[in-house]
Amino acid sequence: MALLDLIDADVVKVPLQGRTKTEVIRELVETLRDAGRIGEVQPVYDAVIARENMGSTGLESGIAVPHAKTRAVRKLTMALGVSPPGVDFEAIDGNPSRLFFLLLAPPDQSGPHIQALAEIARITRSQSFCNAIVNARSAQAVVELFSEE
Amino acid sequence: MDRPIKRILVFVDGTEGSITAAQYAVCLARAYQAELTALYVVNTRALGELLKARIFIQAEEEEYKRDLEQDANRYLNHVRSLARKKGLAVETVSASGNVQQEIKDCVREREIDLLVIGELSRVRSRRDEFYDEAERAMRSVPCSVLVVKDEERVWQLYDSLT
Repeated sequence: MALLDLIDADVVKVPLQGRTKTEVIRELVETLRDAGRIGEVQPVYDAVIARENMGSTGLESGIAVPHAKTRAVRKLTMALGVSPPGVDFEAIDGNPSRLFFLLLAPPDQSGPHIQALAEIARITRSQSFCNAIVNARSAQAVVELFSEE
Repeated sequence: MDRPIKRILVFVDGTEGSITAAQYAVCLARAYQAELTALYVVNTRALGELLKARIFIQAEEEEYKRDLEQDANRYLNHVRSLARKKGLAVETVSASGNVQQEIKDCVREREIDLLVIGELSRVRSRRDEFYDEAERAMRSVPCSVLVVKDEERVWQLYDSLT
C-alpha cells in the first residue's frame, strides 16, 4: 500500500485555520466531507475524539496522527493538514503540533490501516521531510513532496 | 523433464489483489499438480512500531492484533474455500512477526519453488518501493516470484476450472 495513493490535493489543508485540538480535528474531517470522501462530519469527528480521549496521538517533533476505525468510510481514507503556528495537541513532548495526518479505516480493514499508520510512523522519523511539508505553501506542493520523496 | 513447479506459496494479506493471486495460485497448482500453501502474516512488527512511536496505546495494539488474527482466519478460510471448490487441498499458515521475514522463512522451510503475490502498488516514489512489504519479500526470497495482474482474466480462468 502506497501512502501516496491516499493523498490528493483535495484532502490536504494548508494552512489549517483551527487553533485548538478539536477545531483542527473538525477541520480535517470537514476537508474529507468537502472532498466527497465521507458523508456526515459528526460521526467521524466523534470517533476520532473518542480515540483521542484514550490518549493523545500528538507525537514528538510537531506531528500528530489522529485516527479511528469507523463505518463512515468504506476504504482507508486520509486527510493531511498543516498549521504553521502550531496547535496544542497534548503532544508527548509538550510542543505544538504542526503536521496532522488524520487516518480513517473501516473496522474490517485493520491490515491496510496498520500498514498506512506504520508508513506514517516511518515518515515522521525524517525531520527534514516533515519540515518541508510544514513549509509547503499549498496543498499541491505537499502532494508533490510526497511524490518526490 | 521434472515438473518445474512442485510447491507454490501464495501470500495473502486481505487485499483484493492477494485474493486474485490466490485464485491464480489455485489454477497453477491444478495445472502443475503442485502442492499449495497460503500464508497470512499478522504484522506484529508494525504493531510494535506503532506502539513505540506512541501512535498506538497498549489497548489499541492488543485490539488491532486481535483484528488481524481474525483477518488471518477469515482470509485463509476464504482461500481454503477457493481451493476446495476446485477440488484442491491447500495448507494454510498463519504467522506473526515481520512480514518479509516470515515469507522468506516459509519459502525456505517448505522448499517453495514459486511465490505468488498480488499486484503491487503503483510505485510513485522511492519510499513506496522501499517500504512495500510484498515488494521487499519479492526481492529477497530465494525462489521465483509471480506477480498476478488482470483480476478479470484471472477470475475467468478460475471460474472455468472444472
